[in-house]
Amino acid sequence: MRSVLASDIAEKLWSWLRALFALALLALVVKFLATYLPKQQSLTPTVVLGSMKTVGGFVALIAAFVVALEFVLYVILMKLLKWKHALAYMLVAPGMVGIALLFLYPFSYNIAIAFSNRSLERFLPGAYSYGLAFGVENFRSVFTDKILHDTGFWEVFARTWLWTAINVFFHVLGGLGLALLLNRTLPLRGLYRTILVFPWAIPQVIVALALHNEFHYQYGFVNNLLVSFGLPRVQWLSEPVPAFVAATISNIWLGIPFMMVIILGGLQSISHEFYEAAAIDGASGWQQFKSITWPLLQPVLTPATVMGTIWTFNAFNVIYLITVGGPSEKTDILVTALFKAAFEFYRYGQAAAFALVIFVILFAVSATWIQLSGGLKGVTD
Amino acid sequence: MKKPIFTVLALMAVLSLMLSACGPTPTPVPPTKPPIATTAPPPTATAAPKPVKLTMWNKEAGEPLDWSIAQTKAFTAKYPNITFEVVNKGVEDLRNDYQTAALAGTGPDFLWTVNDHIGVFAAAKIIQPAEDVFGKDYFKKFVQPGNDAAVYEGKIWGVPISVGNHLMLLYNKKLVKEPPKDTDELIKMGKELTKPDGSQYGLVYNLNEPFWLAPWMGGFGGWPLDESKKPVVATLNTPAVADALEFLHDLKYVHKIVPKEADYNAADSMFKEGKAAMLINGDWSLSGYQTITVAKVVDLGVARIPKVKKTDKWPSPMTSGVYFLINKDTKGDKLDAVKKFIDFMVTKDVQVDFVKKVKGRLPSLAEAAADPAITADPILKGSFDQMAVGRPMPVVPEMRCAWDAMRPNQEAVMGDKAKPADAAAKMQIAAEDCIKKLK
Amino acid sequence: MKGLIRWFFFRSRGDSPFKLLLIHLALIMACLIAIYPVARVVSISLRPGDRLLSTDLALIPRDATWSNYTRLLASKDFFLWVWNSLTVTISVSVIGVILAATSAYAFSRWKFPGRAPALVLLLSTQMVPAIMMLIPLYLMFVGITRQFGIPLVGSYLGLIVAQSAVGVPFSIWILKGYYDTIPVDLEEAAKIDGAGPLGAFYRIILPLSTPALAIVFLFNFMASWVDYILPRVILPKPELFTWPLGLQRLQGQFQTEWGMFAAASVLVAIPSMALFLYSSKWLISGLTLGSVKG
Repeated sequence: MRSVLASDIAEKLWSWLRALFALALLALVVKFLATYLPKQQSLTPTVVLGSMKTVGGFVALIAAFVVALEFVLYVILMKLLKWKHALAYMLVAPGMVGIALLFLYPFSYNIAIAFSNRSLERFLPGAYSYGLAFGVENFRSVFTDKILHDTGFWEVFARTWLWTAINVFFHVLGGLGLALLLNRTLPLRGLYRTILVFPWAIPQVIVALALHNEFHYQYGFVNNLLVSFGLPRVQWLSEPVPAFVAATISNIWLGIPFMMVIILGGLQSISHEFYEAAAIDGASGWQQFKSITWPLLQPVLTPATVMGTIWTFNAFNVIYLITVGGPSEKTDILVTALFKAAFEFYRYGQAAAFALVIFVILFAVSATWIQLSGGLKGVTD
Repeated sequence: MKKPIFTVLALMAVLSLMLSACGPTPTPVPPTKPPIATTAPPPTATAAPKPVKLTMWNKEAGEPLDWSIAQTKAFTAKYPNITFEVVNKGVEDLRNDYQTAALAGTGPDFLWTVNDHIGVFAAAKIIQPAEDVFGKDYFKKFVQPGNDAAVYEGKIWGVPISVGNHLMLLYNKKLVKEPPKDTDELIKMGKELTKPDGSQYGLVYNLNEPFWLAPWMGGFGGWPLDESKKPVVATLNTPAVADALEFLHDLKYVHKIVPKEADYNAADSMFKEGKAAMLINGDWSLSGYQTITVAKVVDLGVARIPKVKKTDKWPSPMTSGVYFLINKDTKGDKLDAVKKFIDFMVTKDVQVDFVKKVKGRLPSLAEAAADPAITADPILKGSFDQMAVGRPMPVVPEMRCAWDAMRPNQEAVMGDKAKPADAAAKMQIAAEDCIKKLK
Repeated sequence: MKGLIRWFFFRSRGDSPFKLLLIHLALIMACLIAIYPVARVVSISLRPGDRLLSTDLALIPRDATWSNYTRLLASKDFFLWVWNSLTVTISVSVIGVILAATSAYAFSRWKFPGRAPALVLLLSTQMVPAIMMLIPLYLMFVGITRQFGIPLVGSYLGLIVAQSAVGVPFSIWILKGYYDTIPVDLEEAAKIDGAGPLGAFYRIILPLSTPALAIVFLFNFMASWVDYILPRVILPKPELFTWPLGLQRLQGQFQTEWGMFAAASVLVAIPSMALFLYSSKWLISGLTLGSVKG
């Protein structure tokens, strides 16, 4: 009896503590703003009102476009044609029209440049010309010439897949593991979850630079950890394999929180009753995971993994901030090579062809993947 | 699944063909009036000069940026009809964004940027030669390295604001009494100043960066490009380059006076913490070592990078500078206003003010360089002294090929993965390959 | 004491005390790994003299100082940048979530002609490397600005449109996945009660998918909040700068004011952290699904 009372009190105390903490934080923020807002001149009430007004105007403009589009669709599809799919089209239209417009022009521009002889000395429109032969030459050069100084396409291609596979595997594994641990009633759960999303919430630029330093030969955390276990120091950033490992570890660290949050959301929507029924049948934890959690997670996990793969394949920032592709181009992946081709070597035609090659690779892979996992199916299929 | 893929691909192909057939050529540029620029209020008084609003993109950050904005305001106070919008951009961003903006015809009226951009922008025909705007004689008032580093295909393309940007030897007087005179002395002193436990090194610098290799190339009698040839050729496969690589390799592996790993920030931090006796760094960094907190640890001295014993030559750091470049579309009233402003920026008073406010940079105006503000300051004097043996950095786009060819191979040598001579040969091949594709 | 221990375990019924201990240990370990590099960023922000790297392994430097924070807040336009970022980011997230929530519903519930190609197109947009799309996108925006006078360049409008479009494909795919896990019988029941298809969506689907909506909101928010490349090209006006552009003022070609840069990074993480904390409550409300499902 006494202990029940104690647990009640503890529960109360706990919630008060949390409330107190939140209040303290709020007070801190208020005090901070009260101290520094009057000291600066750039953010004045006029500026605030002005930007509210412009942004409000822009949002209204976008809304007006959407309403106009919906109205046209409503009149044509619903009233005139009385089509049974009218509602679906009306729901999908605003997003799809916008995306298609924003995607197709840049995409076709890229195709055009891939079939041109544009270079630094033929840079402005009018100075370069289009032709099938230029396109053939550009695509040929992607595969048979060196795309970097010393490295050809296939080496970078293989490395990109290795990079993608390792990263996505650990993102899903880490995200899934943490999500499973957190998906239960647990004291301090909120706190854990908040801390675990730190890597996602802190701006990537600075945190990648900080990570870069942790791989420093002498002063980095990683080497000092190795030394404390009696292992030799590693020249993380000047040896090819360690540099690749360093970049991979950094990217895994950065990517896990996102997967964790996605999977946690997926786990929330799996009904408890499945587990309760399974427990009655005497299923072990592993069996429950295999026959309930994993299959029911698929509708969420498949798109997240496919997208994750595409993003990691095209992940430019981390490689650039941690190794810049070095040493000796041994950590370059396709997209960093593409960046160099376009913005450092000014091979515009080749770069555009290169971008299309990357697109086709990703397209083929994700199409196969989605077909195999049935990711396009909806509940009504 | 088969069907949707084909549908999408077919759709994309058709649309793309349609769009490319029409030619996705960007809308032609109306040369006089960039349409996105804020339109100035219509002129009211008849006598008052027409209001002009100029946009300048500026590569600076921190102190020099603040100074440049203050100067635009001072100028507007003098000529109220000319106002400015100063947009700061990182150096690489400025290069990429200016090219993008030039395609759309929305570029700024003029730029404040590094000399490396001259070659790229001139080759792409998106800036106009400063020589045509100001006349050849205008450039007589600048120190020679300032003009040299702005020449592309025989013409001067930019007006120098500041010259230098060169590497030099910085040393901490609390650890080093007299700077080394030659490389033998450097190695000897370096060994004395390096502690075996890694708590102090004789010399630090950005080990794997070709910019830090260039002075030694010159010191051993070589240089990355031969600009006197037409077309420009790479000259990386030479004994001089191999010697320079070997020298740097030996500093790390034979004499062990530099750390195993050091990039720019590591070298900078170690020097600031008093854990490195000597540092090779550029003039831009000088102010950072004279702040109150750093001065507790570092008593800064500046000297030339020590003479190469083998050749009896001074290493020649690349000198360049910061320049005003003018957009090819800037014409009429705007061009006049830009000219007026640039004129104002290279007057003696403004240039001396620049040296005083932005610590460590050298002025481009010869008259300002002779001012006591510089000659009386031991650090600036040392910097000026180093610049005298520097060589202008080539502005031709081929230089980027040389940089990119040097980097991986320098890394290989510094990682003890390649012999200096082989690395030099590979640099040459890579640079030639890149130059060929540039055309 | 006993009561406290009992309470501790009471809150996590279903797991044995030993298992619980292991879970806590694993989570604490993960938290340490997650927090260490972040703590180093804080540590850089407390260092005087702009040292990005420290030879000192201590997390709190011996010469720690708040001066980077006070200098940043007093002298730079930091508040303006954050304000600009906030207005853009919130608009983008709200627009993105509304567009995605409605589109994804159609993709999940109806098999209309063109559905599969549309889904594939959405995915395709993520496949062309972003750096190659940037220049043509800008040229297109400039063209539209000139032809129709819609200020897509040099104002927030273009940025809001472009950033919304960047986040929506992923949001649609993820939301469709969550919607697919909600059984269609629930809506049938609502329709029997007299609700139209949109009423069923509003009354049944939306409340059940708050975790997914929260995740999509977070995703859009973070993507827009830290975006550097799009605003860099679209907003070349200092008074419109978002914070990632503003921070460029601290980052020179070689010399960077790392102390202030890190301080600013810590400060801009506060809104996103606050959002994560606040969204916790939405992230778990999906549990009601079990009870509705019956």
